[in-house]
Amino acid sequence: MLNVDHLTKKFPNGRGIFDVSFAVNRGEVFGFLGPNGAGKSTTIRHIMGFMKPEAGFVTVNGMDTWKEQGKVQACIGYLPGEISFIEGMTGRTFLDFMADMQGVKDRTARARLIDRLQFDVNTPIRKMSKGMKQKVGIVAAFMHGPELIILDEPTSGLDPLMQKVFIELVLEEKARGTTFLMSSHSFPEIERTCDRAAIIKDGVIVAVKDIHELQSMQRKLFEVTFRDQADAEAFRASAGLQVDSQDGVRVRVAVQGNYDKFAAEMAKYRVRNIDVFTQNLEDIFMNYYDRKEAAQ
Amino acid sequence: MNAVLYKQMVKVNLQGFMNFAIGSAFYMLLMFWLYPGIAQNAGAIDQLVASMPEGVGRAFGLSGFGSAEAFISGEYYGLILLLILAVMCVQLSTQLMAKLVDQGSMAYLLSTPTTRGKVAFTQAAVMTTGLLLIMVLTTIAGFIGKAWFLGDEFEFHVGRFVQMNVMVFLLFFAVGGISFLVSTLANDEKKARGISGLIVFLFFSMDLLGKFSEQIDWIRRATLFSLYDPGKIVAGGADLTWPVIVLATVGLVTYGLSVALFRRRDLPL
Repeated sequence: MLNVDHLTKKFPNGRGIFDVSFAVNRGEVFGFLGPNGAGKSTTIRHIMGFMKPEAGFVTVNGMDTWKEQGKVQACIGYLPGEISFIEGMTGRTFLDFMADMQGVKDRTARARLIDRLQFDVNTPIRKMSKGMKQKVGIVAAFMHGPELIILDEPTSGLDPLMQKVFIELVLEEKARGTTFLMSSHSFPEIERTCDRAAIIKDGVIVAVKDIHELQSMQRKLFEVTFRDQADAEAFRASAGLQVDSQDGVRVRVAVQGNYDKFAAEMAKYRVRNIDVFTQNLEDIFMNYYDRKEAAQ
Repeated sequence: MNAVLYKQMVKVNLQGFMNFAIGSAFYMLLMFWLYPGIAQNAGAIDQLVASMPEGVGRAFGLSGFGSAEAFISGEYYGLILLLILAVMCVQLSTQLMAKLVDQGSMAYLLSTPTTRGKVAFTQAAVMTTGLLLIMVLTTIAGFIGKAWFLGDEFEFHVGRFVQMNVMVFLLFFAVGGISFLVSTLANDEKKARGISGLIVFLFFSMDLLGKFSEQIDWIRRATLFSLYDPGKIVAGGADLTWPVIVLATVGLVTYGLSVALFRRRDLPL
């Protein structure tokens, strides 16, 4: 469905993307993970045909996205990372305009989406909050029933409830056979929807893996609070666990795949509280990145 | 050309077009209303103009007030209309291309099944439509003013008046083309506005300066504005072939170049 082939683009400041290759199969939800500035948006700009590759190419349905402008977009739905609409329009006039541009007459899918996302389409765009604009963008990307939907950081600006609705939407569309490419800098967001994911760092793809494989590579930081100091000390000393730090009765443990071991060790003592830390992508895949770098 | 985009863009910008057009039309009417009073004292005013340094009269196109169109050419077509249209060209060209790229809404247009060539061409068409609308309404206001305030008592050459309007349109077709080209190549809205504003007002002031003094007359050769000389047109007998060809060519080439270059360039969307 989507094929990114040895895509290279160097910017004058030395950054860019280098030899990026991956393929997304029909009906698959593909995550595109990377810290900010890693090259996610640059890759997506090439996929959308906004930039000319220095080397390599991108095809969607076999059509080169740079050369076949005007045709290839018919099967793509796109949600840009930065939402900005043409000024002087309401949500409705914008969506009408987009539907006309897409050449879509049927408005039932749109009405259904608006109903699901619950927002007032008649609000002028300049009065919309970020989350509301994001909803309008999502409707515009989904409403013409494209075969491939490209979402650049789709849930930024949405509240947790709407994030949930959004994930449901993606899963429904997936059940219908729609292919997705979803970029994100947060692993939990990708985890819930994606089959496979690519990790990009400094413009280079470091891994394309099955989501379960990535889950097992993922490093989570737990903070366990014990009843008393002795328990904490004993727990800390237990073999096979990677203890990050200890502060009185609180012990921080890094767990990567070995949840059984972690649970078993913890069960020996009396635990007051367990916290899990939200970490950035580098921390989550710290070991993985490190090994890569060591190998080079 | 994308009809849907064209319709939408004209709709969004219509308010702006109409502001310029109605303002311009009312100014025209005002001038026509004033003219009968001035015409009675034409002799005295001509003397006053003659008493000013030669360059000043030439610079502002004060070419005698013997006929209504000469008066208007001096009072409106020589300076104010040019300033209004120059501002409009810079603003509109920036809004139609650079702003959409800078803010990112161009991404939406290009994510639909259309080509960049079509988008750029459509925006160029919107720009030209706006200019045409302003000039047509201004011309019509001229005719209304003539019928309403002047009747048959005062001299008014329809042909020369229309020629003058056509030349203004062509001048700004060319100037608009240049600023549109700048806007097409810019990623930053402010930069686009700054650069095209600088070019347009440099052209404008070079023409003005060249007219002030004959010693630096050569400076006018470097500016498009010298191809439009309302004073000569209303005096009659101006040969417009060359200016028409140059202005139309500059406009067509710059718009054409804009479309061609926009198709090839990287967009930071």
